[in-house]
Amino acid sequence: MKLEKLDPTVKACTSLVCVILLSFQYLVSLNIAVFVLSLLLLLTCTRARGIQVLKLLLPALVAAFGLFVTGYFHGRGTRAEDLQKIAAMPYAVRAAMSTGLYPALQISTRLLAYAGFGLLFALSTDGEAFIFSLMHRCRLSPKFAYGILAAIRLMPNMVREFKSVRLAFRARGMQLRWYSLPPVFTMLVNSIRWSQCVAMAMESKGFDGDAPRTCSIVPKLRWYDLAFFSCWITGILVGMCLLRY
Amino acid sequence: MDAVTIGDVTFRYFPEGKRNILDHVELRIPEGGITVLTGPSGCGKSTLAALMAGLYPGNGGVLISGDVKLWGRSVFSMRPQERAAYITMLFQDPDLQFCMSTLRKELRFCLENICVRPDEIGTRSQQAAKALGMEALLDRPLDTLSGGEKQKAALCCLLALDSRIFLLDEAFANIDTRTAREIVSHLRSAADRGKTIIAIDHHAELWQGAADRVISMGEAQVVAVPPKRIGAGDVPAVVLRDVTVRRDRVLIEGGCAVFPKGGMSMILGESGSGKTTLFRSLLKQHPYEGHMEVDGRDLTAIRQKELFCKVGVVFQKPADQFITQNVLQEVQASLRLWKRQEDARTLLEGYGLWQYRKYSPYMLSQGQQRKLAVLSVLAGGQEILLLDEPTYGQDSRSTAVMMEQLRRKTEAGLTVICITHDEELAKVWADKIYRLEGRRLYEA
Repeated sequence: MKLEKLDPTVKACTSLVCVILLSFQYLVSLNIAVFVLSLLLLLTCTRARGIQVLKLLLPALVAAFGLFVTGYFHGRGTRAEDLQKIAAMPYAVRAAMSTGLYPALQISTRLLAYAGFGLLFALSTDGEAFIFSLMHRCRLSPKFAYGILAAIRLMPNMVREFKSVRLAFRARGMQLRWYSLPPVFTMLVNSIRWSQCVAMAMESKGFDGDAPRTCSIVPKLRWYDLAFFSCWITGILVGMCLLRY
Repeated sequence: MDAVTIGDVTFRYFPEGKRNILDHVELRIPEGGITVLTGPSGCGKSTLAALMAGLYPGNGGVLISGDVKLWGRSVFSMRPQERAAYITMLFQDPDLQFCMSTLRKELRFCLENICVRPDEIGTRSQQAAKALGMEALLDRPLDTLSGGEKQKAALCCLLALDSRIFLLDEAFANIDTRTAREIVSHLRSAADRGKTIIAIDHHAELWQGAADRVISMGEAQVVAVPPKRIGAGDVPAVVLRDVTVRRDRVLIEGGCAVFPKGGMSMILGESGSGKTTLFRSLLKQHPYEGHMEVDGRDLTAIRQKELFCKVGVVFQKPADQFITQNVLQEVQASLRLWKRQEDARTLLEGYGLWQYRKYSPYMLSQGQQRKLAVLSVLAGGQEILLLDEPTYGQDSRSTAVMMEQLRRKTEAGLTVICITHDEELAKVWADKIYRLEGRRLYEA
């Protein structure tokens, strides 16, 4: 089954609750398990391509490495009571943990677990479906929902527009750097004009944010939505109880 | 009974402004048939359309006096949902009238707005698409459709909404004549079924044979068209040899063309045929294969900055190239940037823009914006001017005035290369016509 079929609001709630639960624990093994499971689900149960996942994961990997280095070299080391807990571990592990290795792993793997959840949600959810789901499940106002959808539709235009504006400015003889603000200003003026045009077009088609409207597609909660939610939450709670490191 | 009654309407954009866009306008449009409203650029046609559709003053401007009535009911007293049963509008810019990603979703959005029962939405959407032959495009992302297809998609929404009046505001400004004529024939059928069609259009000739009445706003003015320059410029300004341009697919294959110095050349072609991409290649902004020459030098050997000193460009959307916040500053900035000594006032007066000198360029009408863009570029003194769709949003008089001014400049040595889908414009003004059709660029 593809994760794209799941209700986006349920997916978002699952990610949110799991992230909150993870923030209350310091278990490296649980963080790693969550991260690996997220990646496995991404690669096997979504339409996301491996290279796409890797590209999006790269900033998180860099950040995790940065946190690891910081934790390792500048961490306070494991406290005496923690060392008691790991007394049964081999000497080499205990030695490493008495430096900053364990805290470094704790914070860096936590970031990876968060990134895994974020990617799992982002790459398996259609923006439009998410907005519709929010409209039905969370009573998001249609004015706000369709406003966001119109803005999403204008995004590619904005990128194209920015390139044209920069070209037009250079053709007019202006010296531009990558950080030059005048093209941004022009693009923003145009964006305001666009948003007004789109708003007028929507109104002309009878759209009234406050009036009642019919809904031809009402998203339904299915058993697999609830199964996805409960499996993740239960899994993390069980992991928090059973895992020790 | 009249479908639309406009009584004593006075409207301006700013409460403290001195100029009324519409001043005590009176107009009656009877029910049924096709009514075409024409008039010079900036006379307030689009503003009147927005008022008729009830979009102004709710979305901008101040109604000083008067009322607009649809079958005797004030349009301003209706909520958008109720208004949609009376009037819906097809806008000028095909990119700015959809909020969903595909036509099917947009149709669903429209029908949900007017509270159509969910089980009817699918059938009604399908019927509207079928009427315009758009079924195959129902699930295609709207971004991938051509300008003409987008306008047909927008018309599909109007058909689905089934309002009593279809109002078109310069709906054909961005599309080729063939598609425009196709849409006109669909509208004729709708009018025959009892719909009232009101079209605001500079090109009344597109409606010949279809329109039941033509109403002219503002004063009709005739501009004499000067004879063509025979044998203008034997020295080539721009040469294309065996040029191939791609964007997703091959747009131009092995194209050859010579644009003479001091001449006005035009490239004709339908929307999406690759005309604008060719311009971008000529400006070194898009890759190409083959050989391009500007002023006798290979384009690859000319540095970008040097190229912009020689070649000026006015894009299809002139609002993209304004660099200041008022009309006078816009021209002064060009003179300063290119170190020219001319007087900004004389230039603005020559283009009839002096009275708007304190206006923001964005507040001008489409036609006036284009004139200002041309003027700002020409103030730089470039030898070659690339002009993208000069008739976009312009009435025939404004176009003629602009072309006449450009013609005078060509006599002084300026080379104008213009891309357009307006065959008439090319016939009247071009010294040399090229046609871009089926990946071939050839002299017509």
